[in-house]
Amino acid sequence: MKSKTNQVILIYIIISLFVAIVSYRIAWHYIQPQHLYLYSFAKDCIFIILTGILFRFILAKNDNRSIAIFKQLKKTNDEIRESNEKYDIVAKATSDTIWDWTLEDDNFTWNKGIESVFGYQINEVGNTSTWWFDKIHPEDSIKMSIRLYSFIEQKTEKWQDQYRFKCADNTYKYVLDRGFLIKDESGKVTRMIGAIQDITKQKEEEQRLKLLETVITQSKDSVLITEAHSDKNQIPNIIYTNPAFSQMTGYTSEEMFGKAPNFFNSPKSDLEALQTILNAIAKKEECLIETLSLSKNKEEYWIRLSMIPVFNTENEISHWISIQRDISDDKKREKEKEQLIRELTQNNKDLKQFSYITSHNLRAPLSNLTGLLNLLEDMPIENQELQEILTGFSKSTHLLNETINDLVKVIIIKDNPSIKKEDIQIADIFENVFSQLSFQIELYKPIIKLNFANVSIINTNKAYIESILLNLLSNSIKYKSEDRKLKITIASQKTDEGILLLFKDNGIGIDLDQHRNKVFGLYQRFHNYPDSKGLGLYLVKSQIETMGGSIEIESEVNKGTTFTLIFKNKN
Amino acid sequence: MLNQILFIDDDPITLMLCKKVIARADFCHEIITSSNGEEALQHFTAMKKNRDIIRPDLIFLDLNMPIMGGWEFLNYFEKIEFSEFKTIKVVVLSSTIDPEDLEKSKQYEMVIDFLPKPISTQMLTYLSDKMGF
Repeated sequence: MKSKTNQVILIYIIISLFVAIVSYRIAWHYIQPQHLYLYSFAKDCIFIILTGILFRFILAKNDNRSIAIFKQLKKTNDEIRESNEKYDIVAKATSDTIWDWTLEDDNFTWNKGIESVFGYQINEVGNTSTWWFDKIHPEDSIKMSIRLYSFIEQKTEKWQDQYRFKCADNTYKYVLDRGFLIKDESGKVTRMIGAIQDITKQKEEEQRLKLLETVITQSKDSVLITEAHSDKNQIPNIIYTNPAFSQMTGYTSEEMFGKAPNFFNSPKSDLEALQTILNAIAKKEECLIETLSLSKNKEEYWIRLSMIPVFNTENEISHWISIQRDISDDKKREKEKEQLIRELTQNNKDLKQFSYITSHNLRAPLSNLTGLLNLLEDMPIENQELQEILTGFSKSTHLLNETINDLVKVIIIKDNPSIKKEDIQIADIFENVFSQLSFQIELYKPIIKLNFANVSIINTNKAYIESILLNLLSNSIKYKSEDRKLKITIASQKTDEGILLLFKDNGIGIDLDQHRNKVFGLYQRFHNYPDSKGLGLYLVKSQIETMGGSIEIESEVNKGTTFTLIFKNKN
Repeated sequence: MLNQILFIDDDPITLMLCKKVIARADFCHEIITSSNGEEALQHFTAMKKNRDIIRPDLIFLDLNMPIMGGWEFLNYFEKIEFSEFKTIKVVVLSSTIDPEDLEKSKQYEMVIDFLPKPISTQMLTYLSDKMGF
């Protein structure tokens, strides 16, 4: 500007001098000396007018130039302000915390983020890089510094790093820091500017997902994810398989990607199960099946496979997840168990047969002994000693007989623990029972009243119910009163609980006040009868309970006994 | 009183016992015995050829016997070739306790009863009442 002023003055002087000379010449030529005053005045007027016009031109030009410069300056200023505003908005929008580090004097400044993100008041924030480094988690700081200085020394091209940064409340936030270098003309680094982004949430989410992912990657169960949809009669294509899948099937993830699962690849695969899956896929329902499958190296194995649809918020299937477990060992064990059961059943059957044969072979000679002793009863024996021997012989024989009969009954009750039930006419059961006891019935001719009008059919095991009624009936005969004719009433009833069968006699009864707890016990005898073994009611109770029913007793001494058999309803 | 009864049993003691009990009960005039099913069948075959041989009114049959047991005997005896003897009644007399045996005996029309050993006079009284003589 200064030079411009001199330039203007110089031009002015030259032009003024030129005008002064020209005016002098003109005046000299036209004006008489006597008109000198007028001449002077005219010359001055001309001079002023000319230089005035000249000034106007020069100043106007200068003015234009100044306006242009001012406009330019204003524009630049506006641009800078706008840029600054933009920067602030961006920093606010990205929540980035910006730092500016002048390396030469180690001056370090922060933007507002240090307060809004990390909670530091302006007066708490240090203005050197040391303050920054102090806030970095000790476990991260060494690694971070190495990378940072390597960048500043321009050994690496880019710098961005993740580390934990300490907040004002002493907690740490995960941050992502990205920096740029500013160099002077000689290429020396003078400043560094960085932007810190708080990625704690992402990091935590990432860690949570990583944790969840271990469930799939570390699982011993094979897991796969398929697309949402598939062609008709096809399982959707695989988009993910876990390591256990490869372990189990022998196929890698890459081999199976984009293909339908091939669990039904064995000729022995269960095609019904496949159909079950396809139906479930069509209906978008989950399902669980088992099938035999073939691994890549042609080894057979059993799997239990589930397919579960996953729905998005719009309630559309987004994908399917499927979990498979190798159940070959289970199946093998199951088979072994079945084999074992078969063997045990056979053994049991053999043993049962053996016990029947043994019992028969023991009973055959024993029945001879009994029969022979019966014959002896009618024969008079003179010899006293022989009589004694025969009495002992007889007693021992009877005892042996009873013991064997006891054992036989235990064999029968323990014979078949899983019992088959069927609908049976009650009248038919009694027909059988009476025919088995026909000998005793003929002998004592009891009055027997039957009333099955209410219920005529019960669901029960035929052998057991016959045994039960045989026992009760023979008990009634055995413990009949000598004072009156034996009368037995048997009736059926229907209740909410099930079907009741009432069995009532007018025999000698049992003192229940004394014996209630022992009535159904093993080897409990309540009357001193020679042929009582204390086994009958024990068997009765065992048998009815095996069928899911129960038995109750009411009795009064010398009046009679009533047994109530309860057959529970089917469910 | 029956005329003749046939005992089929392999045990000589049982046979001896039966003879003695029956003799006391005045159950029949004559007792003949066979020691197994086959021997009994031979007797019936002989009977078919020779009409003079007396036919038994009742058979007491044991189940467990060597050579031919009671069930096998019944299976043969049921056949058409022995149809002329189908009026002869059979009583199974056994020391078995297998409930299946009792069920099985009901399948044979000629078997009128299934009685446990040993034979007794009460049993014979019951039988004579049942058969009505």
